[in-house]
Amino acid sequence: MAVAAARAALRGQDAAAVHTLSFATTTAPFAEPQGAAFVHAALRLPETCLAQDVQGSPRATLIALHSALESGQTALIAAGDLPPGTPGSLAEARAGDGGAAALVGSGPGLLDYRGGISLSAPFTDRYRANGHDHPQEWEERWVREAGYLDLVPKAVAGALAKAGLSAADIDHFVLPCPIPGVAAAVAARAGLANARRAASLAETCGDTGTAHPLLMLAHALETVVPGQKILVAQFGQGATALIFEAGSVTMTPLVSPQLAQGIDEANYMKLLAFRGQIAWDRGLRGRFIVNEALSTAWRYSAALLGFVGGRCRETGRIQFPPTRLTVGDGLHLDTQEPWPLADVGGLVATFTADLLAFSPHPPNCYGLVDLNSGGRLLMEFTDPGAAEITPGKPVEFVFRIKDIDPQTGYRRYFWKAIATPVAS
Amino acid sequence: MATGIKDKVAILSMGCSRFGERWDVGQEELMVEAYVEALSRAGIEPAAIGAAWYSSHYDDIGAGKAGTPMAQALRLPNIGVTRVENFCAGGTEAFRGAVYAVASGAVDIALAVGVEKLKDTGFAGLPLASRGTFGPMYLPTHSNPGNFAQLAAAYQARHNVGRADLKRAMAHTSVKSHANAVKNPNAHLRKAITIEQALNAPLVAEPIGLFDCCPVSDGAACAIVTTPKIARSLGRAPAVTVKAIQIVTSNGWEVQQAEWDGAHVHTARIAARAAYAEAGITDPARQISLTEVHDCFSITELVTLEDLGLTEPGTAWREMLDGRFDADGAMPCQIDGGLKCFGHPVGASGLRMLYEAWLQLTGAAGGRQLANPSLALTHNLGGAPSQNVCSVTILGAN
Repeated sequence: MAVAAARAALRGQDAAAVHTLSFATTTAPFAEPQGAAFVHAALRLPETCLAQDVQGSPRATLIALHSALESGQTALIAAGDLPPGTPGSLAEARAGDGGAAALVGSGPGLLDYRGGISLSAPFTDRYRANGHDHPQEWEERWVREAGYLDLVPKAVAGALAKAGLSAADIDHFVLPCPIPGVAAAVAARAGLANARRAASLAETCGDTGTAHPLLMLAHALETVVPGQKILVAQFGQGATALIFEAGSVTMTPLVSPQLAQGIDEANYMKLLAFRGQIAWDRGLRGRFIVNEALSTAWRYSAALLGFVGGRCRETGRIQFPPTRLTVGDGLHLDTQEPWPLADVGGLVATFTADLLAFSPHPPNCYGLVDLNSGGRLLMEFTDPGAAEITPGKPVEFVFRIKDIDPQTGYRRYFWKAIATPVAS
Repeated sequence: MATGIKDKVAILSMGCSRFGERWDVGQEELMVEAYVEALSRAGIEPAAIGAAWYSSHYDDIGAGKAGTPMAQALRLPNIGVTRVENFCAGGTEAFRGAVYAVASGAVDIALAVGVEKLKDTGFAGLPLASRGTFGPMYLPTHSNPGNFAQLAAAYQARHNVGRADLKRAMAHTSVKSHANAVKNPNAHLRKAITIEQALNAPLVAEPIGLFDCCPVSDGAACAIVTTPKIARSLGRAPAVTVKAIQIVTSNGWEVQQAEWDGAHVHTARIAARAAYAEAGITDPARQISLTEVHDCFSITELVTLEDLGLTEPGTAWREMLDGRFDADGAMPCQIDGGLKCFGHPVGASGLRMLYEAWLQLTGAAGGRQLANPSLALTHNLGGAPSQNVCSVTILGAN
């Protein structure tokens, strides 16, 4: 999700200029290695780009964003989170999975940074100890009264002072909080009662943890007009408040269309199965080794994570994966140059919906995809509508989990094909 | 200048175990079953065998790697046993090794054995084959029905055949093989089925249903080959000689370039052309008496009949429905039941087909004997339509 959001943020931008990448999450797939390394590779950012994980709090995103804004360098903040909740808990009901990203740099943009502040405090509203899957939370009323209503208004005041603005100048107020009513109470306490409060999206996608401040901001931007002031805040072991002024650049709405195109899922067990929260029968056919082969994975990391194929300088043939001898007559040695495929799209040549092959979500759909740039490869298809991807249909490519080893927890990533949305 | 293999090697004898879910035996016993039959029919002592080739695909559920499992099972006289593995073409690969050894003059008599013990996995269908460390990092988690189902999707698109028509032709393909296998005591599935049963069977991988799939079988088959001259010196008429063996392997073009239509098998067409040239066959549809093709799935058989030039591209489905490939049709196909009903012990299948061809050409096929066959073609397809090993072998009666 962080990769998908970052790809959207980088569209039409110069990825080679990105100096710093921060991957913000409270649910990193690995304790080691850092997830940012995979995000970095999937986005084909330059080797000199500093990549780091920021985590430990949903506020990690705004901490990274604040830091990036103050650094004056081109930075990408990619957030992706699967906020955990004990099955049946309120936390689970309020949470959603999501990804969001922001690209920070110089020059005219969507938003101009006016000033911000980050406050730190050992206020623990919830915790999840190492080795524990689910968070423990303290009473909401205390979190609201002693936490949000104390720390966030202080941060708002600090940010306003930095920006040289008064509370009345703020047109939009973005504050994620899974507890209903808190954002309104904070706005009233901070003098922002007249600012338009960004929708919490609680009813449509839930609180997406580290992704949520950027997700709510992106959603709010759909109605912002140039010159308006926006204050984005988040709480968590302190508070961060950042103030922006809407620039002249506008953005195609990203959030509303996705929410509108959502597909209802009534099968709650699917959530538990996908999250590994219930034991489920993989069958003997599903008992295969997911070989991490770390040396192989590194050797082919550009192909596997960046989806980089090869193009033969002499024949013009494009292929995946790249090889020393080009596909065809075997007469062209070491003639391939890297050829990124993630954005080229393709047409489906062959297809099946396989009920025998192991899949956590059968049938496993796959087939040959003819790349629009030339070349072809056998790919897995994924939802929405994987089973409707038949020969001749256009597809796009998304970065996905390839498989997870139930024994070691190791997960492999690769790219899958999805039906090109009709609108695009 | 190479002159090819035509008539340089004769089949001295063959053997084949009963195929099926052989819960009663392991790989070693299956090999013995086929070998003892071939040896007794050949009328030679084990000491006369100069070299051996051994085909087995799955080493983790079978007897393991290398040539030793076969040498030990058959207590061979310390001769070289070469294990070959080439997907479903492995049996033919073993046969080729033995034939080439004899043709080269390196040995007088050579042995080829193919075996697979599949029913020790604990589940239906084939286990996943190892694909190294890199392949599984990007290739889909697949199954063999899924691989071949794609052939059906592309065939429908390429030849503008509706799903219902193709499903009916696929069903006829299986019904025909079931009917044939009723007469074969060694076959795995010896029960006739109806078109409706085939059409209404559960889907495995769209559009392939249960009856479009061959079973997973245990079995072994075996060939003993020599030169026609040595056969005569042993007092045996070289009744059947090898007319052609061609093995063609994909080099990645089909799966990496958007040039192959997915509705045929590229390697099969190349192998067929080369085999006909080697055998001196100019009109295969008229000259070939019977075919044993790699009908791992019904769609594979249909497409293969086209690839072998036995019917025009895009017409096999209609010709199948018209009965041309039935036992009483103009070109009987899978007269022993094929992979579909004789069964498919992977490493043995190529040799099983040759066994049937040899029986038919020597008039020893009992209740399913065809009238005066002269040329028999066998075909294997190992891997997936998009990346495979394909073999075409032609045997002839003399």
